[in-house]
Amino acid sequence: MSLLRRLTGRFPSVVIARRNVSRARTRSLLAAAAIMIGVVAIAGIGAGGAAFKQSQLDRIQEQGATNVYVSPGFDKEDRHFDRTDLMRIDETVGGAGIVATESRSMEYRRRSNRERGVSVTYLDDPRRLYDVAAGEIPKNWRRSAVVSREFAADNDLEPGDRIVLAPETDEDETGEFRAYRVTAVLAETQAFGVDQVYLPIEATGDRQYGQVRITTQSVEEAEAAATALREEFNGRKDTLIVFELTSLVRLFTSIVNGINLFLAGLGSLSLLVAGVSIANTMLMSVTKRREEIGVLRAVGYSKVDILRILLVEAALLGAIGAGIGIALALLVVLAANAIFLGSPFAFTSGSLLYLVGAVVFGIGTSLVAGAYPAWRAANERPVEALRG
Amino acid sequence: MTPDPDEDGFDAGTLGETIATDPIIRGTDVVKEYETGGQIVRALKGVDFSIAPADFVAVVGPSGSGKSTLLNLLGLLDVATSGEVRLRGEDVSTFTDREQTRKRKETIGFVFQSFYLIPTLTALENVEMPRMLDRTPTKTRERATQLLERVGLGDRLDHYPDELSGGQKQRVAIARSLINDPDILLADEPTGNLDRDTGDQILELFDELRSDENVAVVTVTHDDYVAEAADRVVTLIDGRIRDTESRRANFEEGPDP
Repeated sequence: MSLLRRLTGRFPSVVIARRNVSRARTRSLLAAAAIMIGVVAIAGIGAGGAAFKQSQLDRIQEQGATNVYVSPGFDKEDRHFDRTDLMRIDETVGGAGIVATESRSMEYRRRSNRERGVSVTYLDDPRRLYDVAAGEIPKNWRRSAVVSREFAADNDLEPGDRIVLAPETDEDETGEFRAYRVTAVLAETQAFGVDQVYLPIEATGDRQYGQVRITTQSVEEAEAAATALREEFNGRKDTLIVFELTSLVRLFTSIVNGINLFLAGLGSLSLLVAGVSIANTMLMSVTKRREEIGVLRAVGYSKVDILRILLVEAALLGAIGAGIGIALALLVVLAANAIFLGSPFAFTSGSLLYLVGAVVFGIGTSLVAGAYPAWRAANERPVEALRG
Repeated sequence: MTPDPDEDGFDAGTLGETIATDPIIRGTDVVKEYETGGQIVRALKGVDFSIAPADFVAVVGPSGSGKSTLLNLLGLLDVATSGEVRLRGEDVSTFTDREQTRKRKETIGFVFQSFYLIPTLTALENVEMPRMLDRTPTKTRERATQLLERVGLGDRLDHYPDELSGGQKQRVAIARSLINDPDILLADEPTGNLDRDTGDQILELFDELRSDENVAVVTVTHDDYVAEAADRVVTLIDGRIRDTESRRANFEEGPDP
């Protein structure tokens, strides 16, 4: 008696169930195939969807979901922030870094008679928001201009070159042109809303700010900062318009989760069908083995023993289906991970949850489906079964 | 069906349990009714019986006379509608389903006309089957091998039922019925599907088992020659015992010492 035999001797129900499953091989395989399809549907859709969601969330994160943008609200008389406002905002958000900016449109004169509009951002220090790729921003930045990489490339600019800009006035006329020396070119970023030209805030002349950007370390901090600002400033009046990508992230997450759950729910429908198939298979199997089960009862197997053997059998069918199903689903998820997340092994916790859930659900369905046939077989009186 | 609790203690006291010649199972005025198609059928109409160790009793009678019903009552597969069946002094109607199953496993071995071997199990595994859930695989295997050798199938251990002849199958079935060392072997037409020679081998085996292991054999049969081999022949007609032909003892009065 080998180790295998001693091991199988410990789990006789499994041995008996395995033999019964292999007895009607085709029927068992068909029932297991139904479970397999359900498991592939749930795990594939769920985990693939999870990978898609993660990829989109990553992208939003890159777009600056850790930032909160604040602009003057409808109830603010000035329509802009001054120094006092900035200090209050700074105090409200605590440790987060704040950068106040003022955006305006200007005319950019490239050669003597060719002009085009550019958006210009006035701010204290661009280095708090962006990396510098070329050149240098002086410590006391008061006169020179900083340009985005895109703008530099379009206009063939390098640090040291000069650009000529004029403020746009209200009546569609252009103010006086002024030359600025380009002191630095910023590194390329994927962030949302990168303007083309940056000038020192002093250049506005009035030290007024149109927007404040609050930079935090995480989505949670951004959310907390936004909440704090709303509570502090927007009690009765809408002094601030607070905009954070976090709310977008939340909206997106809930939409994707909803779609995913709906699709996985459709997948579970196939598992329901599989359950019917398992129930049918088990019912046929116990009907065919009626006498055999009667003999088992006669030689001393209790109702519970019969119930257990048949439930193990149903679970075994489910496990075979779920096993093959999860292998196929894994391939699907590997592909989805490769497509959405760049690496086949970049499993998200959500997708792992779907994979495990599909297996549990698959075997669970088989157990539930096997319950009635098993119960019926266990409760059959051996006298009736053996009557022939 | 309804036991009388007052009588229970009294009888257990008088019958005792240790004396070998005391009956293993005894029935008094046993009535069994069951319902088929809305009608109540009285299969047994007041029968007395008693089986002692090493008895060989043949139950004969036309079909529908209650033979199988009697065998089911003896085998604890069914409970009498009225009257009393006592297994070693205990009223079987007081057993729960679980107790009944356990007693059946300990006391009774079954042999069926159609053998009822499990086709997915080898001869050896079929013999082990009643003890498969006991988690004593090594012991069970030893005993099963021994039993198969005992019935002359030591060279067929790993054969599947469809690789065995009818007589071989019945011998496997007998080995299976002996795996739990029962006191009574209940055989329902054990030779019904076998030719005469093979049937003789089975009857010889029964004789050996009775003398070697003190097992009582109760068989329901249509075959006269099986009845001839028995110590006692009980004839059932229409649910009543009509005729007891005894070579050793009177069926109703229990065996002689």
